[in-house]
Amino acid sequence: MSTEHEMSKASQPGLQPGLQPGQQHDQHGLSEKGLKAGSVGLIGAVVIGISCIAPAYTLTAALGPTVAEVGVQLPAIFLVGFIPMLLVAFGYRELNNAMPDAGTSFTWASRAFGPWIGWMGGWGLIAATIIVLSNLAAVAVDFFYLMLAQLTGNPDLADLTTNLPLNIATTLVFIALACWISYRGMETTKSVQYVLVGFQLLVLGWFSVAAFSHVANGTAFDATAISPDWFNPFAVGSFSAFAAGVSLSIFIYWGWDVTLTMNEETKNPEKTPGRAATLTVLIIVIIYMTVALATLTFAGVGETGLGAGNPENQGSIFAVLAGPVMGPFAILMSLAILSSSAASLQSTFVSPARTLLSMGHYKALPQKFGKISPTYKSPSYATIASAVAAAAFYVITRTTSENALWDTITALGMMICFYYGITALACVWFFRAEAFSGAKAFFFKFLSPLLGGVILLVMFVKTAYDSMDPAYGSGSSIGGVGLVFILGMGVILLGVVLMLVMAKLRPEFFRGKVLSRGH
Amino acid sequence: MRYVVGYSADARGHDAVNLAVSLALGRGASLDLVLVVPEVQHSGHALAPRPGFEHLLNEQAQEWLDQALALVPPGVQAQAHVRSGDSDAHALIEAAEELRADMLVIGATRNGIFKRFTIGSVASALLHASTVPVALAPHGYHRQEALTRISCGLGTRAGAEKLLDFALGMASNRVVPLRVVSLLALDGGDAADATGAADAAREYAEKHLAAALPGGEQEVREEAKTEVVVAHGRSIEEAVDRLDWEDGEILLIGSSRLAKGRSIFLGSTANRILRALPVPMIVVPSDYELKQPNQPASNDIPGEAQK
Repeated sequence: MSTEHEMSKASQPGLQPGLQPGQQHDQHGLSEKGLKAGSVGLIGAVVIGISCIAPAYTLTAALGPTVAEVGVQLPAIFLVGFIPMLLVAFGYRELNNAMPDAGTSFTWASRAFGPWIGWMGGWGLIAATIIVLSNLAAVAVDFFYLMLAQLTGNPDLADLTTNLPLNIATTLVFIALACWISYRGMETTKSVQYVLVGFQLLVLGWFSVAAFSHVANGTAFDATAISPDWFNPFAVGSFSAFAAGVSLSIFIYWGWDVTLTMNEETKNPEKTPGRAATLTVLIIVIIYMTVALATLTFAGVGETGLGAGNPENQGSIFAVLAGPVMGPFAILMSLAILSSSAASLQSTFVSPARTLLSMGHYKALPQKFGKISPTYKSPSYATIASAVAAAAFYVITRTTSENALWDTITALGMMICFYYGITALACVWFFRAEAFSGAKAFFFKFLSPLLGGVILLVMFVKTAYDSMDPAYGSGSSIGGVGLVFILGMGVILLGVVLMLVMAKLRPEFFRGKVLSRGH
Repeated sequence: MRYVVGYSADARGHDAVNLAVSLALGRGASLDLVLVVPEVQHSGHALAPRPGFEHLLNEQAQEWLDQALALVPPGVQAQAHVRSGDSDAHALIEAAEELRADMLVIGATRNGIFKRFTIGSVASALLHASTVPVALAPHGYHRQEALTRISCGLGTRAGAEKLLDFALGMASNRVVPLRVVSLLALDGGDAADATGAADAAREYAEKHLAAALPGGEQEVREEAKTEVVVAHGRSIEEAVDRLDWEDGEILLIGSSRLAKGRSIFLGSTANRILRALPVPMIVVPSDYELKQPNQPASNDIPGEAQK
């Protein structure tokens, strides 16, 4: 959106002989120029949606851990996982229409439940994005080395990523680069976005076709016949597995809600966002189902070799499978994941930075978080703070976990459930007066977000409880408690501590004087 | 007269405002301070909607512009505008065209590594596409008084007449002396060669100056207070260093011919001059004067070059 504001400085008349009475120019027409309202069409909106989800990255990161939880019921869980996302997204749309604010969950939860829950909602969002930043960087680094190996034909290069100091150093470089690009206010252009999205879909399609043809030719690793049972969520062994699976599949749809909230910039604000959201999710579900089925039929869920259940493969499934499935063209998969995770790494910096900026602006964080760079017009301090946090998170996870990628994704799923749950309930509470004013309001402002919010919070509590088990996730633990629990709860506790410190330092916000509750 | 000032709330923006004030004081021009905010994007993964951030950005932009207006002394009329666009240069050129500005004023950046004055990416893009003269303020320009002298860098290529006309107009309108400067880089060579080249350059400059002056007579020249100076050194930078520059001076140079591939507006010589130059520089598009007569009649204030 473009805006044009005018301010005038009164001049002192008579001082300047050259000034003429008619000097005041007619300002009319300025505000219309430069406006780019309605520049995004249906296809453009779908591309934005898919690029926010980054399917090549989400699949490689989440497919393994999900199989570890639910086995062959992977397709079922991927489908079921969309339901709470959809329900919550309806609430998001209502909140975004009523209060378009850079702080999103933070602002909305503060307006609904007051400063304390609002602060934690914002913290949940920031924590989730910080975690995903570190995971994105790590995945990018894995595929960076894998691609080097494929390019040079020297498989030893791919193993460099397992060299701990080198891996950490490279990941920090990736995070720093993405931070610098984001700080400079540079953005992925539309055409690059189109190419990245098209390429991802093409490569994922190629992978699936290649996997199915291996199965048909009898050259698959562990050819497994597709069974209707794979689509039955009730066939999942336990509620624990189900909850873990759902919180992981929330992650694979994360970013989809962007399409629903694109109003002003679409050509037809009435219809485009809804259509784009539908089309995006159709494309995403089709590609997820195809890749999930291809992976399961090709590799099975066995815990040895290429099996999708092999803990060795869980962190990044395509790093292992792309070679056997696609042969020499596996390099395309590396390129697709490297490019999509690198682009996503850069664009995802915007989320925590804007929430931190907003929190600084509303005095819920030190003032410097609210600083906008005069030269680059980006949230400068907040962006750098996000990068430092992501780097710190990665170093801690990487040095304490046996499988950092796996454990961060599990902790991430938990964190998304936490802040989405709070946000959805904030919607219910904020609109409680209008909830029964009509069928539409009842469904979108009350029922959907209520169901979605409750489901996600239940998943959160269940996953958090289960993750105390030292065998949870990759099986890393500290002092007999599962690492995922320590990561997830540690981050939330850290938030509580920081909140209490902030309440001491800048009590204004916490007394409800900055963001007031209710309408 | 209107000058569009590309403002940003940093040192560069301050330099630009100061230069714009200096330029405006001699001509009674009004300033339009334009702050360009980027068009923000959606983010990946976690939703970060545009409108909220745009709101904060615009709020901040207004605050910055309020501070910018306070930098302008009471005698100069100024307005502030927030523009949004993906490219700062593009948005500034658009603003200059819409406001029918006679000049664009921006600050040059300092290259952090080499500690030299260089033009930033915005200035560079502007110089490639602007249809009005572009004034570049050197880093740390703090002067807010009218100009005291105008220098005009004369190359040996076609278009010198137009640039001289523009410079003469500017000097006589502001009642300041005009100095025609010829900069020569003579690497090695003997003294005789150098003298010969300097004489040729002087002759060339004198000839063009005479042609540009009404009547071309000595008396007119005295009245218009013009002089011709030839400076040479082993490099253009050295030649620039050897000249004396007044605090209130400004150097006018013409752009490279756009016909040559359209890619170089600011020629390599001009770029080197800028590196060594202690005073502001105005780059005039090669076809600038041709555009002047087309200016709308409603604009009753004459353009920079017109008398």
